[in-house]
Amino acid sequence: MRRGLISWSRDEVPPSVLEARVARLQEQMRAAELGVVLIYTSFARPSAVAWLTHFVPYWNEALLVVQPSGAPVLLAAFSKRMHDWIRSVSHVGEVRSAPDLGRAAAAFLKERPPEPSRIGVLELDALPWSVAEPLVKSEYGRALVDATGLFTAIRQPADEVEIRLARRAATIAVQAFKAIPTAAKSASELLSVLERSARLDGAEEVLPRLAPDLRADATLRRLEGDALLGERYAVELSVAYKATWVRITRCVSTHAVPPSWRGAADRFVETVERLNEANLSLEPQVAGSVRPGKTAAWTLETCRGSPPLSIVATGEVPSPSALPGGSLACLSMQQDLNDGPWLGGAPLILGSGGQPSRLLI
Amino acid sequence: MADEGIDILVVAGNPWRCDYLRFAADVTPVEGHAFAFIDREGPVRIITEHPAEARRLRWERAELDVTWSISAIEETETAIRELGKRRIALAPRAAVPYRLAMGPLAASIAPATALLDRLMLRKSPSEIEAFRRAAVLADEGYAVFRDAARVGRPEYALVAEVEAFFRSRGCPENFQILGSGGREVRGMHPPTERRLAPGDLVTTELTPCVDGYYAQICRTLVLGEPSKTQERAFAVYNEALEAGIAAIRPGAKARDVARAQNEVFRDHGLGDYVTSEYTRVRGHGLGLYVDGQPAVLEDVDLDLEPDMTLVVHPNTYHPEVGYFVHGDSVRVIPDGCEVLTRTPRRLFSVPLV
Repeated sequence: MRRGLISWSRDEVPPSVLEARVARLQEQMRAAELGVVLIYTSFARPSAVAWLTHFVPYWNEALLVVQPSGAPVLLAAFSKRMHDWIRSVSHVGEVRSAPDLGRAAAAFLKERPPEPSRIGVLELDALPWSVAEPLVKSEYGRALVDATGLFTAIRQPADEVEIRLARRAATIAVQAFKAIPTAAKSASELLSVLERSARLDGAEEVLPRLAPDLRADATLRRLEGDALLGERYAVELSVAYKATWVRITRCVSTHAVPPSWRGAADRFVETVERLNEANLSLEPQVAGSVRPGKTAAWTLETCRGSPPLSIVATGEVPSPSALPGGSLACLSMQQDLNDGPWLGGAPLILGSGGQPSRLLI
Repeated sequence: MADEGIDILVVAGNPWRCDYLRFAADVTPVEGHAFAFIDREGPVRIITEHPAEARRLRWERAELDVTWSISAIEETETAIRELGKRRIALAPRAAVPYRLAMGPLAASIAPATALLDRLMLRKSPSEIEAFRRAAVLADEGYAVFRDAARVGRPEYALVAEVEAFFRSRGCPENFQILGSGGREVRGMHPPTERRLAPGDLVTTELTPCVDGYYAQICRTLVLGEPSKTQERAFAVYNEALEAGIAAIRPGAKARDVARAQNEVFRDHGLGDYVTSEYTRVRGHGLGLYVDGQPAVLEDVDLDLEPDMTLVVHPNTYHPEVGYFVHGDSVRVIPDGCEVLTRTPRRLFSVPLV
C-alpha cells in the first residue's frame, strides 16, 4: 500500500476538462433516467473517481455522488482534518466526512432525494458489502441499478489531457529502465534503482513485477525478499502519474542483446500497428507472421472503470470486448523464441477507421 | 471453522484489503479481486481477475487450483453454487462484493468476519517474528528518511529515498505519509511538491511490511536547531507516548492506553487537541493491515491480550508548533509491553548545511 507524489496541477489537468467529463456523465444519466450515480473509490479502485475529479485516495475509501447537474459531492471516510488536502488535490463540490460510507450515502439521498428515483452504481456487483449493506437495507435499496455500461460508454477514447499524462507516466518508466545498472546481480538492487528513479521523476505509484531469470521461468512475480538475476530477465513496470496508469515490460540481457529479441520487438511493433477498433484479436496476425517464434500469451488492457487497467482482450479468452479507436490501452505480450521467452509491453493509442494503432512513446 | 460449523470459507480480497486473504491463504493480490476457497485442511482454490495474477499465484502456490476470469465475482458465485449443500461462509465484510453478499450466504458474512478478526488479533510466534523484522526495518527506514530530509528537497524525494531503501531490503510494501512546515500543518498526507525549508517540522509515519506484516514508527524532526517551543512540545508528546506504553498490559483495555496519553495533554492544557477535530486515533493494531484493530480510543473497550501488536502514537496538532507525531511499535507480553522500535525518542535535528 504505497503512494508517491499526489498533487494537482491545473495546467496539466484544467478544471474545465474534469467538468466536461462530469458533464458527459450527467448527460448519459439524464438519458438513462438516473437520479444519481454513486462511484466508489479506494486504493485498489481509484480510477473512475480520479478521472472525474482528480482525487486519488492514498488509503481509505470514498464515494462520489454525481447528480444530474452541479458539481459532484465526495463522501470521504477520511477524518475532517484531511478535507483541505482533498480539496487541494481534487476538483469536487462539497466534501463530507463519512466514516460509514453506505450510511452516509443513504443519509445524503434522504436529504437530496434523487429525481428520477433510480440510483446508478458504477460496478454495483463489486461494491464492498461494508459500503453496500447500509444502502441495500435503506429505503433506497430497491432503486439501486448497475451503471457500469453507462460509465464505460463515455470513458474512452482518451482526451488529450489523459494522453499527455500517460505519456509522462511512460517516460518515467522508460527513464527508470535506463537507470538499471548493467552489473545488477539481485532483484532487490534492481527494484531499488527502478523505484528511486520513478519516484524522483514524480511517479504517483510504481508497481514492479519481475521474472528474475528468463531461462528458468517467464512468470512475472511480485517479490518479497530477494532473488538472483539471471543473464536474461524481464521487468514489468506499472506506473501511475497523476492517476493515469501505463504498463511497460522490457527484457534485459546482461550480455549483448540477442538477435532473436530484435525480431520479437519488431513483431510486437507490427502487432501494435495491426490492432485497431475493428480488430482486437492478435491470433490471425500471429498465424501469418513470417518471424520465428510464437506468441504464447498476450493481453490488451485499458482503463474504463474504477480499476487502473482492465482486460479488453487476451489470448486466453476468444471474444474481446469492444473498445473505440483513440482509446489509451496497454499491450503486453510473451513470445516463445527458439532461445527462450521474450516479454514486452507498451502503451498505445488504438487505431480507428482503418488507421493503425500507434505506440504512445 | 469446525467450531463454527463452517465447511468452506470463501475469503475475498483486493490490493486495498488483502489482509484477510493473506491470513487465510497466504496470497497477496496486486490488482483486481481475488477469492480463496478454504476448507478445514487449508486453502484449495483461488479465483483471480487477471491472467498475470493467476500465473503469478500458480508460481507462488503450485499446490492450489488457481484460475482467472474477467468476471471473477461471477465465477466465484458459480463455484460456490457448485459446492452444493456444504456449509459455506463468506468474509470479510470489507471486501465481499455486493453480488456475492446479495446471495444466500449474506447471513454468514458478519460471523465469519468476526471469526477471522479474532484469529488475526493475537499473533503466532512466526507472525511476531515477521513483525519484529518489520520494526527493525522501520527503524532503518527512518534513518534513511532523516538523511534524506534536507532544505530544498521536495517531500516526494524523501519518500523516493525511503522506498528505494526498502526495495533494497526486499520489502515490497510500505505505508508512508508525511508533513512539513509549521503551525499551518494540520496533519500528514502523501508527499507533495513542497520543498523543505529551514525551521520546518518534518513528520512521518513509516510502515514497512515484512512477510505481509506491517510495523510502524512515527517521528518528528526539525530542519535546523529546534526552538524552545518545539522542544517543549516534544516533551509533551514524549510524556504521552511513555504514558501510553506504560498502560499496556494484558487485561487493560484499548481505552486505557488512549486515556493515559490524552490525560498528559489535558494536564498540559492541550485537551482540545485530543479530540477528533485535530486527531484520529492514539494508536491502532498492526499486523497484516496498516490500521488494524483495536483503534486506540477512549471509547474502545477491547481487552489487550498477550501477542497483540500495536503502534502507540499520540499524534496530533499542537497550537504552537503544528502537527507533531511520535510513536512506537509494541507487542503486548504477559507482564506488560515489549517496545520493538529502537529509534531514540528524540526530537531529531537535521543540520541546515
